[in-house]
Amino acid sequence: MIRTRHSMAWIDRLGMAALVLVTAFALLLLVAPSLIVIAVSFEPRAYISFPPSGFTLRWYQTVLENRQLMDSVVVSLRTAALVMLICLLIGVPAAFASVRGRFPGKAALNAFLLSPQMMPGMVIGIASLFFGAYVAFRASNTMLVLSLSVFCLPFVIRITMARLAGLDARLDEASANLGAGALETFARVTFPQLAPALTAAAAFTFIEAFDNVTVALFTSDVRGRPLPVELYYLVQFDSSPVIAAISSLEIMLSFLVLLVIARTVGLDRLGR
Amino acid sequence: MVTETTALRPRNRWLHPLTSGGLAPALPAVLYLVVFMVLPIGTLLLFGFVNIERGRIVSDSFTLQPMIAALNDPLVGRLMWRSFWVAAVSTLLTLVLAYPVAYVYGELRGIWRTVVLVAIISPLLTSALVRAYAWLVILGGRRGIVNQALLSTGIIDEPLRLLNTDLAVLIGMTQIHLPFMILPLLAVLAERDKRLEEASLNLGASRTRTFFKVTVPMSMPAITAGLALVFAVSYTNFIVPQLLGGGSYSTLAVQVYEQTIVVLDWTRGAVLATLLLGTCFLFVFLIVSVGARLTRWTEARP
Repeated sequence: MIRTRHSMAWIDRLGMAALVLVTAFALLLLVAPSLIVIAVSFEPRAYISFPPSGFTLRWYQTVLENRQLMDSVVVSLRTAALVMLICLLIGVPAAFASVRGRFPGKAALNAFLLSPQMMPGMVIGIASLFFGAYVAFRASNTMLVLSLSVFCLPFVIRITMARLAGLDARLDEASANLGAGALETFARVTFPQLAPALTAAAAFTFIEAFDNVTVALFTSDVRGRPLPVELYYLVQFDSSPVIAAISSLEIMLSFLVLLVIARTVGLDRLGR
Repeated sequence: MVTETTALRPRNRWLHPLTSGGLAPALPAVLYLVVFMVLPIGTLLLFGFVNIERGRIVSDSFTLQPMIAALNDPLVGRLMWRSFWVAAVSTLLTLVLAYPVAYVYGELRGIWRTVVLVAIISPLLTSALVRAYAWLVILGGRRGIVNQALLSTGIIDEPLRLLNTDLAVLIGMTQIHLPFMILPLLAVLAERDKRLEEASLNLGASRTRTFFKVTVPMSMPAITAGLALVFAVSYTNFIVPQLLGGGSYSTLAVQVYEQTIVVLDWTRGAVLATLLLGTCFLFVFLIVSVGARLTRWTEARP
């Protein structure tokens, strides 16, 4: 009575076809909007049209010549770099304690370190705004960096933890036993093994901080807004190809990060 | 040799704090989160129960009045209901779309896996704002891409009203949160023990039956994790309802933004944010406990 595995009833064929169809639809749904935005950014006329009626780069030129937009790009780049730095500086050592620690309450520590990812960005933003007001610290781009670092810290800790858990701590001990100092062990044994994960964590944190709007809307400076906040106000009143051009640039930046992650820890590791 | 290693440890503990197994390396991060997360959220919760004047608490002004007023406000109830059903429908839609993707990914090999992964992860790394804007372009008024296509092919004479509807918000949210549902499923389904399914097939079950009786139960922890995560981000998303729902479309999360940034009524903003966070955690807790009940295998990997 053992059935051959390859005989498929009609209902199974139907089920398989449905799975493949839904998969194709879902993948199209995921990528099509970004591709449409990129296509629209080359539209020569001053309004959205798809497929574009021609090809022009003048909206990109408009973006590059727009002083306010370029200033906001600089603000966002600086913010993202600082957030990345803070998260690496405090997140990487924390990941060491989380993985290699031998002390009571380690599970609680891990839960606390990763807890910002349970907080909606908006709540982190509003809480920072209120706390800042309470201690008489005005919403400014310093506050933006500080609150975004809370938001991004779990990314660094998680990516570093995943890599660290796969490393053999005995290698470090061997290095120490062979006479290497703490610094030398870290520089020549631990760090080289960890470097891909740190690169991926840095790239991921950078793009998350660069793109973030939910925290930034509440904590950024009124003057010198970061790009996502600037874009948020633009999008509400206008949908001209200029916005499509900025959006396309952001999409290209995210592809750069995608490449970095693919080359370091691998794309399939990101979801764990 | 073993005794030598242990003998060396006390010296290394001070030389090499990162590997010594102590709590110390985590202290900067813990301190940082206490100052920049715990204290701010404490302030947020507190601000709902005191009178605020220009960011300062008026002394001895503890009051439950704003919270009671919000709870008795039928508008707050309506907004909460809309936030809930929009998030619930959108979360279920993401599951329906994500599960086949993760399942089919498990069957793929080589370059196709990479192609699918890029399709899943590239939107994840693209700003949510940019993707909401993409839907503005697609669904927008007469110039929206859907209407342009339908008008030019003569299927319709008048542009459809797609933007500023529940449908637009649902489409936008579902698409934007889809990767959050796919990734946990992918991790489990791609590395599932296929011998369980083969056993089921060999015992005479059809593929369809095997799918529902073996594969789906096996991935229950991932389904629960995905549902909880996507529900939480959908319930608290205010960008998509604002941009795709239009100026008069409001949810609880949108109201929190409006009260805090536009109306500048911080007490009400704090009360609504507290309600938003509280109900969000409640729903997530419910999803997780129902999921735990339905879980038969906690570990899908061999």
